[in-house]
Amino acid sequence: MMTPTTSRHSATHLVTRGLRNVLLYAVVIVGLLVFCIPVYYMATTSIKAEAEVFAIPVHWIPHEFKPQNYPEAFAAAPFARYFYNSTVVAIAVVFSTLFFSALAGYGFAKFSFPGKTLFFLFVLSTLMIPFQILLIPLYVLVYHLGWTNNYAGLIIPGALTAFGVFLMRQFCLTLPDELLDAARIDGCSEPGIFWRIVLPLLKPPLASLAIITFLGSWNNFLWPLIVVNKGSLFTLPVGMTVFTQPMRAPYWTYIMAVSTVSTVPVVVVFLALQKYFIQGVVLSGMKG
Amino acid sequence: MAEKQLTANTQAYTGSRPASMHKTGMRSLFFRRNLYGLFFVTPAMLFFLIFNLYPMLNGLYLSFTEYTLLKPPVFIGIANYTGLLDNKEFLNGLQVTAAFVLGTTIPKWLLSLALALLFLRPFWGRETFKVLYFTPTLLSAVVISMVWKLLLNPNGLVNALVTPWVNRSEIFWLAHSKLTPMALMVVDNWAGISFFMVIWIAGLVGIPREFYEAALIDGAGRWQSFWHITLPLLRPTTLFVVVVSTIGALQAFSLQFIMTRGGPSNVTTTVALMVYNYGFNYFRMGVAATMSVYMFVVIIIITIVQIRSVRSEETSYT
Repeated sequence: MMTPTTSRHSATHLVTRGLRNVLLYAVVIVGLLVFCIPVYYMATTSIKAEAEVFAIPVHWIPHEFKPQNYPEAFAAAPFARYFYNSTVVAIAVVFSTLFFSALAGYGFAKFSFPGKTLFFLFVLSTLMIPFQILLIPLYVLVYHLGWTNNYAGLIIPGALTAFGVFLMRQFCLTLPDELLDAARIDGCSEPGIFWRIVLPLLKPPLASLAIITFLGSWNNFLWPLIVVNKGSLFTLPVGMTVFTQPMRAPYWTYIMAVSTVSTVPVVVVFLALQKYFIQGVVLSGMKG
Repeated sequence: MAEKQLTANTQAYTGSRPASMHKTGMRSLFFRRNLYGLFFVTPAMLFFLIFNLYPMLNGLYLSFTEYTLLKPPVFIGIANYTGLLDNKEFLNGLQVTAAFVLGTTIPKWLLSLALALLFLRPFWGRETFKVLYFTPTLLSAVVISMVWKLLLNPNGLVNALVTPWVNRSEIFWLAHSKLTPMALMVVDNWAGISFFMVIWIAGLVGIPREFYEAALIDGAGRWQSFWHITLPLLRPTTLFVVVVSTIGALQAFSLQFIMTRGGPSNVTTTVALMVYNYGFNYFRMGVAATMSVYMFVVIIIITIVQIRSVRSEETSYT
């Protein structure tokens, strides 16, 4: 920082700076332990023997290395099926959200048509609706549409978000009109302009939106919990809770193995697209 | 060919400058082009009408009915609303939710801001630490609940670390009328702090350095800079953090549902959990919808108060 030059090299200053650094690292490392030990414990428990789980003193490193927990857990319940369901739902939700958000965002940003302002205000207002409020009536709607216990019920009500439309509109506003007009002069159709020019330019915000949407869908619990009660349609989070119903003896090593497996896709996406990930989090912070 | 290009040209021209249209031909071209805009937003508008607006209005209607899904709803006026005000379980749910909101918002704001300020200073390994701090945000509510259920087990890791210091053989974190609500609050804070930390960091990075340099020249200390520069300029971020964390806490469901099922003896039964129970265990959709409406009203009031109080400070500063 900007300290007066006279004290910069003085001994007391060096000492306070050293102390300050020690304190800083102490705080940062305690924080690291608090945030990471539970996750570390999840991963190590998943490769322990069941008898080790509650051993005293604590087994920080598994004494008996037991990776068979993974195949055993996947044999104990149809977790592979749940994993597949989660994947199908997440992919469908992400692609539909990206496409329709970009389409609507472009429409709102670059065209003028009667009712535009009103429509956009409507989209903005749905941004504020807490999901809990929609829970009962949305279930009633899906029930009457006959979508309970099928993929439609899992996918369609989450297939678009007001946040996505809002985000895409903000980015489309920054696209230069000259570029779109140039494409028109070249005889490109309006849908062609959207598909060949606008969509490629929207790649960075689309990547961020894709990550937020994927995370939301993959980790979603409440909606899949109520909309399906047929085991073959459970998503991973729902299947995991059923596996630990109060009456059942919990196999902690299996539960932690499945927890780890369900976290891996998110971690992979996070590490591969870290830049967009943090950006996505920050963008979702901008929506307020 | 040349003619086609000319039409395209005028189309583009009218597109960017609609005010200069004179000929009806141009007008219709301009109109046709903008019809595409309407066409592009139509799927989204239909979606929001069907899956947001309609359910919201229908939810309001259902709150005045008795409805079990199997038979058509029966209009019963405000009976659900008055009934809930006499319902001890609901009043308890409101209290549980209020306590959870207090216990998971204020600590989250303060701790996430403190961590963000910490990560603003450069130090060796900062980026790695930041990424590792972010891990809880990647976990689903179900995984968080499972892991903490294991950690808080009477024979679990938390007791292994804590009991030697407090001279007790085991503590029932998830089966104790006083400790359980607090345990869930701690877990929720653990899960949510790093998300808000990243938000705060983004807000803090956006403050131009010149402000601090100017303040330093004027002889302002660290705290003075923080109070008079950082906090006022962070106001949009503050508003987001405050509103989003509160709305999230008011809807708390997953931890309570998975870790404790609302127990022991309803000390962790939030309103959201009651909505679920009434709707999908007792099939009393009308009452469940009424609880949702009550919650919506509470959320709106609190949000407005928060927006006003964060904004009103703004006027006093400028």
